[in-house]
Amino acid sequence: MIQTENVLFTIVMVGYFAAMILYFVFAATRKETLWKAAFGIQAGCLILHTAALVIRGIGAGRLPMTNQYEFATCFAWALCLVSLIFIHKYRFPALGIGAAPVIFLIIGYAAMQSREVRELMPALRSNWLAFHVSTAIISYGAFGVSFAVGIMFLLREKLKEGSYWDQHIPSLQKLDQIGYRSVSLGLLFLTFTILTGAIWAERAWGSYWSWDPKETWSLVTWIIYMVYLHLRLRRGWKGKAAAMFAVIGFICVIFTYIGVNTFLPGVHSYA
Amino acid sequence: MPFAIGLLSVLAIACALSSLVTQGQAYNWYVSKYGERTAAVIIALHADDAYHSGWFLALTGFLCLNLIGCSLVRLPGLIRRFRRMGDPDAMGEPTATEEGINKPESVFETLRMPSPTARKNGEGREELYSAKNRIGLWGAWICHIGILMLILGFALGQWTGKQETVYGVPGQTKLLGDTGLAVTIRDFTVSLREDDTVEQYTADITVTEQDTGRSEDAWISVNNPAKRFGWTFYQNSTGYASRVRVLKDGKDLQEEILCVGESLAVADKPDLIIHFQAFYPDYVMADSGPATRSGQMNHPAWLYLVAYQGQVLGMNALMEGEELTIDEYTVLFDQPRNYTLISAKRDLFTPLALAGGLVTMLGLMLALYVRPASLKAVKDGEAWTVYGRCEKGGVLFAEALRDAADAERKGKPEGKGEQGT
Ligand code: HEM
Repeated sequence: MIQTENVLFTIVMVGYFAAMILYFVFAATRKETLWKAAFGIQAGCLILHTAALVIRGIGAGRLPMTNQYEFATCFAWALCLVSLIFIHKYRFPALGIGAAPVIFLIIGYAAMQSREVRELMPALRSNWLAFHVSTAIISYGAFGVSFAVGIMFLLREKLKEGSYWDQHIPSLQKLDQIGYRSVSLGLLFLTFTILTGAIWAERAWGSYWSWDPKETWSLVTWIIYMVYLHLRLRRGWKGKAAAMFAVIGFICVIFTYIGVNTFLPGVHSYA
Repeated sequence: MPFAIGLLSVLAIACALSSLVTQGQAYNWYVSKYGERTAAVIIALHADDAYHSGWFLALTGFLCLNLIGCSLVRLPGLIRRFRRMGDPDAMGEPTATEEGINKPESVFETLRMPSPTARKNGEGREELYSAKNRIGLWGAWICHIGILMLILGFALGQWTGKQETVYGVPGQTKLLGDTGLAVTIRDFTVSLREDDTVEQYTADITVTEQDTGRSEDAWISVNNPAKRFGWTFYQNSTGYASRVRVLKDGKDLQEEILCVGESLAVADKPDLIIHFQAFYPDYVMADSGPATRSGQMNHPAWLYLVAYQGQVLGMNALMEGEELTIDEYTVLFDQPRNYTLISAKRDLFTPLALAGGLVTMLGLMLALYVRPASLKAVKDGEAWTVYGRCEKGGVLFAEALRDAADAERKGKPEGKGEQGT
């Protein structure tokens, strides 16, 4: 089981790397076939990645989302899934140029973590925890996409109108809307994550909110994206400012995910 | 709204900064960690208990006032907008306009609008109109109410909620603080997996209301609390306990169950204290000091400390069967077992906070995913002109309308791309 999972994981990681390179070469040479190949590779890898996660889940007898390695690999999986959906839905192949490096970085981070399958301590054996983590993964994936869209927005702004990229990157207005939609998805799921996390903490410890650093940082992230929503309702704050906000928001997401465990103490640090 | 944005930003920054400071320590702890200067600043700013400090409460209070004010002020306008969406004459500035449509019904259909009502407008021209997802207009408002409920529920819970803990071993009955309830621990099991890791802690308890003598049993384990007499009981944690016997001149003097960290005073010499310092089920002497190899009772050892009139006389580890002798007294540790720590909580406002969370969630879904849209078609000579208005997502809606119109002009009913939802 572990063997198969490891092999699949390696293939997937190499695949994501190859897709990233293809997107970059596409950006440099503008050859249509390249992004199609990259998209195809990512779609194929996503299937293998799903298989790897299912195998791990069966082997462990639970959802494979409870330690740093498992969460990281799921994060990369969700980011890939959400980015492929957005590329397809909004006919926006160049989104891959922004998203693929993030996917690769996260799966690379996963590769550095211990892959040992450990049994769960009693507090972690809860269905609420399963909801909590799976919604977090989707939320992080969507925020990753909003980050990539934000980057594309800032790049697109630098390009001249009427350039080749007009066909492959939507207009600034549309990019802004796509960014808003991805933030909406992320925010909705982040709210779910916080809510299910609170319900779980209430059942496990009798305290649904205790200002643990990870909780606090998820609240900070949530407020930042709320500020993003409110700012957008004001004149002059759509577009560039919103794109920059999406980029900063995702940096906070990453800090909540990696930084808090590394730098700050709290109950979540065993995860 | 600028004030609200400012407040939310300040709150985010305050939370972020406070998370960098370990909360709830004593002044001396901060001095040893950050130095005297920084420690003084931390204490002065209440950063040691930031989330309960006056400034934090004030910020949250302002946020609530702002939310209440904003919700009240916006309510009439919102009701008006909601009503108006049903009225073709009151449709606002269109987001997009498409001309030269022959069969406007198909555009309504492609955009999944409800079937339109037909009428003659003020200028006597034929007109079709429908609106959808009107409920989405309420999203932000509902979300704000949800946040208010959440903050209110949390704050009231913090002020009025009570938490108590008891610990003990099977057979013991203990009072739950001054709640008038007593908890009897009937059984406590730690189930281990094959690899020695803990699978579950389960306590079998009876809760008795002392006034009435009524009692109820409960079975609690981690993640499975139980509610009795208005209190919720949690299996919180565990530790080791042991029987401790004191003999005087070889005769039984006293016998008690001590949990790790507890002490007993010798019955006829209360200045002599035996403190149960630590317990190791599978004792080894490691480089870093005493440790345990596993959770199995393979080689139990008791670490004790003896004090007389506040002076420490000695500290040492006893193996199974070994005894401690102090003058005429002999102290024996045996029958090691697990004790359970049970916490009990009573917070009448948790349901309010939960309801607030759910309402916030509902509001968010409405605000972000139920996009109100209205569509009007007006006959212009032979062909129709279609006006579309979407409260959110203008460009994508305009694109969907254009695709739908293009499809109609080409005679195909289905449009491609984003649906105007
Ligand atoms: C003092 C605090 C706040 C004030 C004064 C405020 C004010 C507003 C206003 C005026 C709107 C526009 C409403 C509309 O279009 O009908 C809005 C939208 C919204 N607010 Fe707030 N708000 C506050 C805090 C919050 C908080 C804490 C949340 C978190 C749940 C929140 C969530 C929303 C959402 C989701 C929207 C809709 C955004 C969108 O449609 O893109 N607000 N807020």
